[in-house]
Amino acid sequence: MAKQEIIAMILAGGQGSRLGVLTELVAKPAVPFGSRYRIMDFPLSNCTNSGIEAVGVLTQYQPLELNSYIGNGHSWDLDRNNGGTYILPPYLSQVGNDWYKGTANAIYQNIPFIDSYDPKYVLILSGDHIYKMDYLKMVESHIQNEAEATIAVIEVPWEEASRFGIMNTDETGRVVEFEEKPAKPKNNLASMGIYCFSWKVLRESLILDEANPDSRNDFGANVIPGMIDAGYDVFTYSFDGYWKDVGTISSLWESNMDLLNDPTLINLRDTSWTIYSRNPQRPSHYFGPNSKVENTAITDGSEIFGECHGTIVSYNVVVEEGAVVTDSILMPGSYVESGAVLTRCIVGMDTRVERNVRATPDEKDGVDLFVNDKLCKDGITVFAPNLIIKEGTKIVGNSMIGAEHARSHPQYFEEVPHYSRMEVSL
Amino acid sequence: MITDAMGLILADNRRIQLGALTEPRAIAAIPFAGRFRIIDFTLSNMVNSGIKRVGVVALTKYKSLMDHMGTGAPWDLDRMRQGLYMIPPYINPITREPDRTDAQSVIDYVKTGDQRYVVISGSAFVTNTSYKPLIKTHIESRADITILYHKDGPIDGPLAMALELDDDGYVRDLMVDYPRSTSQNYAVGLIVISRNLLLQLLAEMMARGIADFSILGILQNYKRFRVQAVKLEEPLLRIHSVASYFDASMKVLDTEIRHKLFDVDRPVYTKAKNRAPCIVAPGSGVVKNVLASDGCAIMGHVENSILFRGCVIGRGARVTNSVLFQDVQISEGVVLDHVIIDKNSVVKMDGRLLGHPGFPIVIEKNAIV
Repeated sequence: MAKQEIIAMILAGGQGSRLGVLTELVAKPAVPFGSRYRIMDFPLSNCTNSGIEAVGVLTQYQPLELNSYIGNGHSWDLDRNNGGTYILPPYLSQVGNDWYKGTANAIYQNIPFIDSYDPKYVLILSGDHIYKMDYLKMVESHIQNEAEATIAVIEVPWEEASRFGIMNTDETGRVVEFEEKPAKPKNNLASMGIYCFSWKVLRESLILDEANPDSRNDFGANVIPGMIDAGYDVFTYSFDGYWKDVGTISSLWESNMDLLNDPTLINLRDTSWTIYSRNPQRPSHYFGPNSKVENTAITDGSEIFGECHGTIVSYNVVVEEGAVVTDSILMPGSYVESGAVLTRCIVGMDTRVERNVRATPDEKDGVDLFVNDKLCKDGITVFAPNLIIKEGTKIVGNSMIGAEHARSHPQYFEEVPHYSRMEVSL
Repeated sequence: MITDAMGLILADNRRIQLGALTEPRAIAAIPFAGRFRIIDFTLSNMVNSGIKRVGVVALTKYKSLMDHMGTGAPWDLDRMRQGLYMIPPYINPITREPDRTDAQSVIDYVKTGDQRYVVISGSAFVTNTSYKPLIKTHIESRADITILYHKDGPIDGPLAMALELDDDGYVRDLMVDYPRSTSQNYAVGLIVISRNLLLQLLAEMMARGIADFSILGILQNYKRFRVQAVKLEEPLLRIHSVASYFDASMKVLDTEIRHKLFDVDRPVYTKAKNRAPCIVAPGSGVVKNVLASDGCAIMGHVENSILFRGCVIGRGARVTNSVLFQDVQISEGVVLDHVIIDKNSVVKMDGRLLGHPGFPIVIEKNAIV
């Protein structure tokens, strides 16, 4: 293969267990976001817009939907003669087989792929962040600092700093210490999980890390601290745009709501940095003769006959007349029947909410059997993809309804086959 | 079953002009239903019927059409074998003038295909149907030409091609623009013909120096051949004038018709644009009976209208019974009724444009009102 100066490797194999039922059957990067996107569209579009032409996508957990979504990369202009997207699952080899044991191991197992492009720099990206970033600027800063590794950092509120990996730097910006979730953080520059490495150095570090039986083979926990300890030149790159790790139900919901409450935070209408996505082949969206819609984002193929307030409506969604949906996220293919009232709900792909279902934070006489305070907060209720919420069911806030509940409580829910999703919703 | 037919779409029609709407583009490239162009419908019908080789005959102003078609990827027509062929007219190498006929480039296209049949489609209609049964009937009946017809003629008359059929569904008489026609059978503007017969007719046309290759031109031979007619059952929207374009657009707002026009099993493909989702702003006016598209930002009142991608409706603006093409900007306080506004135009503060159902006002591309 012809040489590529920079290649990007996107870590897309994580389960995203804190998203609960939303990632039961799909990897986190394939979770729908912001009406017409999947989370994965953001790093992929950033690559395209940064002029990066070779992108490896490391998959492991439930990759079917993600693989078929990415396809040959055409939607992001990443179907190229030299380079393009490569889906890189773990594989069997003569010396044995391994799942990806950690983020660093995933890259280690793909050293031959990276070598085939003979790159100078390798970007390690995460498939589950919402942000717009010019990676080229980060690589330029990496070159200017004569760094061997550059870590993108963002200022976080001091009180939250102990939840992140914190970078302590000297006056030149060189990292002297990396603390993972420190109890008493010395500063508030958090690692975004976006790294730029000089390939020669990273290659050696990965081989060393792999040889260490005590290592968890993780970039944040092992490889980067190891490089700092070994005296490599590790620098930070400060990013000051919008960045959100949408790893929890609350952050996923908030980040979606940010699109409505302050569209300038991550301006999706900016044509100089388009976020690309697969385009469903559906007609424009329709507002019915008695619809009431305000403060709502909506995309092609949807039909609103009822009311939507402060809601993210994805493609192929129907809201019938007499339904009221407020502060909610309706994922692709979901259907809300007449009389249903949903407030602060996330409705998974192709799930049907039948007549007069009510799911609001303080629902009177609501069933509270499915409350999941560990994953759902702030009154947000989540319905898994491919369910039917049966007529008249009432549910209190902070509930999480999955396929298991359809089996245990068939009076409320039913599971539907999801064979048609690829064709209809993509 | 493999479809043994190639497609041929006539993107222009010398007899049909839609004023300012066809000034910058071929009729096939006129935007329709929010995010499509007229050609997307017959082209998707062909692709959904298993046709894998489609030629698009352009005459003039084909830049817009070429931009739209690209490599044919949205229709899966970017192929190593077969695929999409753009057929612009040849320039005469000696006079440097356009050749007097479209026929030579069409002959070259038809000759190089190995399918036995050709589906020839005009561009003055929109429907969603499969051409498979039509092709099948054509092959089984051994008719020379099979013509698709619909019970409804054009709403305002011109180019009505009325068919009189015998009991076996063969064409006995064919009349164009006959004012006293009581026919219930009007040609849609789509025929199936064998490749060999088409090549023979094209050769005859060239020999006679006939300059215009059209479906009507072929059908004028109906007395020499066995011409059979097959009825189109799906809704048909004819577009041959500004009034009929407006009427057809408003029919798409009808949910029953729209669902048939965008049958889930037969998707209508078009070029992707990657616009952000449409935003209906907090405190916007009423938005009802509206077909809107990605990239729109609605702050005003919109009713009975179609908004193409990227339209912006300012606060306090009132848009009713109108069709706004891509990236049209309606400033604050503007009032529009029965208006068609072409791409990229701007209507500035407090403008008022009031048309009439039969005579909608048409604002040209890139205009500032």
